[in-house]
Amino acid sequence: MNYPPLLMRLGIGRRRFPVWLPLFLLWPVAAALAIVLAPLVLLAALILWPSVWGKLVLLSGPILLRILSALRGLELNLNLGSRLLQISFK
Amino acid sequence: MSDSQKRILDLLAEKKISVDEAQRLLSLTGPDKDTGTQGPQESARPGGKPRYFRVQVQPEAGSGKESVNVRIPMALIHAGIKLTSLIPGHASEEVNEALREKGIDFDVRNLKPEDFEELVAALTDLEVDVKGGREKVHIYVE
Repeated sequence: MNYPPLLMRLGIGRRRFPVWLPLFLLWPVAAALAIVLAPLVLLAALILWPSVWGKLVLLSGPILLRILSALRGLELNLNLGSRLLQISFK
Repeated sequence: MSDSQKRILDLLAEKKISVDEAQRLLSLTGPDKDTGTQGPQESARPGGKPRYFRVQVQPEAGSGKESVNVRIPMALIHAGIKLTSLIPGHASEEVNEALREKGIDFDVRNLKPEDFEELVAALTDLEVDVKGGREKVHIYVE
């Protein structure tokens, strides 16, 4: 099973060492928030169901989770002369 | 390990062939020629499914230090395509219009996950190398 990335490496500018952000600390908070918001999302989906947005609201959670899980392995290394950007998800 | 390689090792174990003969025969069979499968220590590309889409822009020698190295997981592209199926019709029209302005005549509503699988299968054997005046662009999957 895929699960969201645990760490994010971020380097901006000419810093010698990139910063490692512990994403795993965010996920329990996000999960708790998702559980709290789930009834509201369901209600919003029911209200909006006649319009095209209902399906989008209902499926937004699973799709967001899928996208977050798929971020694992993403790497961006941009070296534009004076500007340097490094992002990677582990 | 292929059947022919196992057979050669069996013959060696039964002392029907010498070590030198076995070595020569194994070198002829190559890395799992029969099945096309590869061991985990070898590249996953020829036998397996590509996992990443990679774009590298490297400067030519002496033409500056600008470079780009992007590795995008196939799963992320797949998730993005799934997302397009949820885009409402009028939003798709706006995206199509923006693409048309850039000279790309493409309808995002026609993008289906099945097509993506086919595209990924085709990409497995594709490598694009573009050598410009100042940089070299390398696009491939791994």
